[in-house]
Amino acid sequence: MTTIAVAVLLCAPFTAGCWSLLIRSSQQLHLVNLGSMGLLVAAEILLARTVLTQGSVMVFDEMVYIDALSSVILFIIGTVGLACSLYMRSYMDEQVARGTIAPHRLNLFFFLFHMFLLAMVLATVANSLGVQWVAIEATTLATTFLIAFWRRRESLEAGWKYLILCSVGISLALFGVVLMYYSSLRVLGDVNSALNITQLQAIATQLDPHILKLAFVFLFVGYGTKVGLVPMHSWLPDAYTEAPAPVAAMLAGVLETVAVYAILRSRGIVDQAVSPEFSGSLLALFGLVSFAIAALFLLLQHNYKRLLAYSSIEHMGLAMVGFGVGGPIGVFGGLFHLVNHAFAKSLAFFAAGNIHRRYKTVEIGEVQGLASVLPGSALALMVAGLALAALPPFALFASEMQIVTALGTSGFPGGWGAQGVGGSVLLLLLCGLVAFAGFLYRITGMVWGPAPQTVVQGEPWSAGHLSLLFLSLLLAGLGWVLPPPLHQLLETASTLLVGR
Amino acid sequence: MSWLTPRIGAQLVDLGSAMLLLTCFAIVAQRRLSACVDLFALQSAFLAMTATLVAFLTGTRHIYIAAALTVVVKSVVIPHVLRRVIERLNVTRELVMNVNVPASLLICGALVMTAFIITQPIISFGHLLTRNSLAIALAIVLIGFFTMIARQKAVTQLIAFLVMENGLFLGATAATYGMPLIVELGVFFDVLIAALIAGIYTNRLQDAFDSVDTSRLSELKE
Repeated sequence: MTTIAVAVLLCAPFTAGCWSLLIRSSQQLHLVNLGSMGLLVAAEILLARTVLTQGSVMVFDEMVYIDALSSVILFIIGTVGLACSLYMRSYMDEQVARGTIAPHRLNLFFFLFHMFLLAMVLATVANSLGVQWVAIEATTLATTFLIAFWRRRESLEAGWKYLILCSVGISLALFGVVLMYYSSLRVLGDVNSALNITQLQAIATQLDPHILKLAFVFLFVGYGTKVGLVPMHSWLPDAYTEAPAPVAAMLAGVLETVAVYAILRSRGIVDQAVSPEFSGSLLALFGLVSFAIAALFLLLQHNYKRLLAYSSIEHMGLAMVGFGVGGPIGVFGGLFHLVNHAFAKSLAFFAAGNIHRRYKTVEIGEVQGLASVLPGSALALMVAGLALAALPPFALFASEMQIVTALGTSGFPGGWGAQGVGGSVLLLLLCGLVAFAGFLYRITGMVWGPAPQTVVQGEPWSAGHLSLLFLSLLLAGLGWVLPPPLHQLLETASTLLVGR
Repeated sequence: MSWLTPRIGAQLVDLGSAMLLLTCFAIVAQRRLSACVDLFALQSAFLAMTATLVAFLTGTRHIYIAAALTVVVKSVVIPHVLRRVIERLNVTRELVMNVNVPASLLICGALVMTAFIITQPIISFGHLLTRNSLAIALAIVLIGFFTMIARQKAVTQLIAFLVMENGLFLGATAATYGMPLIVELGVFFDVLIAALIAGIYTNRLQDAFDSVDTSRLSELKE
């Protein structure tokens, strides 16, 4: 049964992608897309249940390995993916109707979208660190054209930057993978399984700490580029602004999370051979810097898509601080933050897509009176905005508090003494406040105020609103109750990461 | 071949790696784009030769496959694509340099030293045969990385990316006698697709900006 579920997980996006190339009608394209996404979600639920009841899953000659951590990531891929598919129904059709996309290019869009999904699923379930690398580089290749899908000058520029920066970053990660292999081969001697996560975990304590340290630095910088940590983030705001809204939602919500997952996977191995403080301080330092710099850049933005992009850097930085500080609270907080951020950010990008379609501008100053022009999207934007600003009823508040608590109690990894702890907590809170104020100020400015005369008012119900509703309810709900299965999944995943 | 003792074998591998590094410097010093492409093809040929040598000396069969792929993909297919791109775009020289040639060469020299210093603590664990190659591999990766920043033409940046990839492949061969075949194949597939995408992209950039000079890409600002 699990074998079939894993097969569905990998075959559904692949088949749907190839099939999309053959279909001409947009109706059928959406059906294939929704169908494959439904299968994907069903397979994920089944696998998560198996992981919870029977422990980790290993199939296909140990090529696929799924434990609680991969299940959490799969859960994010599935949920955001499904919401995205629903949203694309109205979004893409309108683009075709408006003539922004030629009808015959629609199936190319869906093909690339499915390949993007496939690569992310593969990166999450692969047991081999090498295959994981190949899959993450494949996400870059699949999304380059998706980002530049409008083919405007700006989109081409954003696509080129993304392709070059991410490919180069990822090449550094490959050097890290080579070094991992180098160290494990000396212990294992078996060529074919020496890169397997399961094997590496089993022999991690025997691996050479010098090599692992060097390997982790390369892996961290490489995958960190993909996460968008400062200073490797310069591709990110451009790509998120230029990409079509559903693609931006997937990039911000899911791809970043998958890249974080790749870092966490390697870290789980490195930490057993080297003191966890080494990787912890690296993560926490880059996380804190990303958080602080992104918070400052949030204040400068005039473009609401860039605003959301910098908010992504900020939240990823915060999650990194959580993982870096470690301990049960820090890691749990970090993982929970990843989940919440994925939902809030995709919701925000969906709303931004609706706003862009109506106002035809990305300037914050030119968007006013959303509440009367697009009431549904305005509500969604408010929900996402309040959640991203980490206001109490929403779950991001809980996860942020967990991360700050962890930092306050365990202190900065590597030990900077009591002053260091106080200082870093203070810095975190201060930057959090700056981000909170800047972010909310901009969003409330867009929602209220008089609507411009030129913009048509009113928002007819469409399939896309279903995903807005779904994500809003999910975000609000997670703030009140964490469903026991999800809680257990997160709990198990964080015990895996905390290790000893 | 009784004369091919491990010691001579190791020296030959060192020689091959050194040739790779030398072509790196030549690429950094070169202004003519077509010559850069030729040098890259040559470097890939050296890489394939070094890998074949390692395969022969150690009896690791699957490196032969990777070496053959290197020749086909990196010495023939990708250079061919790049030459056509250059022909179509009608750009022959790299004119925009963020760092001029003499300074670039000095920096690359420093990068080589850095690579040797970084790998010093772990080199002694390596196989006798390929001990120095790991440091050279890292040096090539770093030089590729630097070239990417220092040059502005899309074609040169692409070559720099491919040079990095060559360094990585040398590293994998040197450190561990090649990665598992499935990973190796995956990496080749990715590199090939990346090169093709970048090839298509340079065309689009030319159409949209009338230039493949990436410094013109400045529409997106804070």
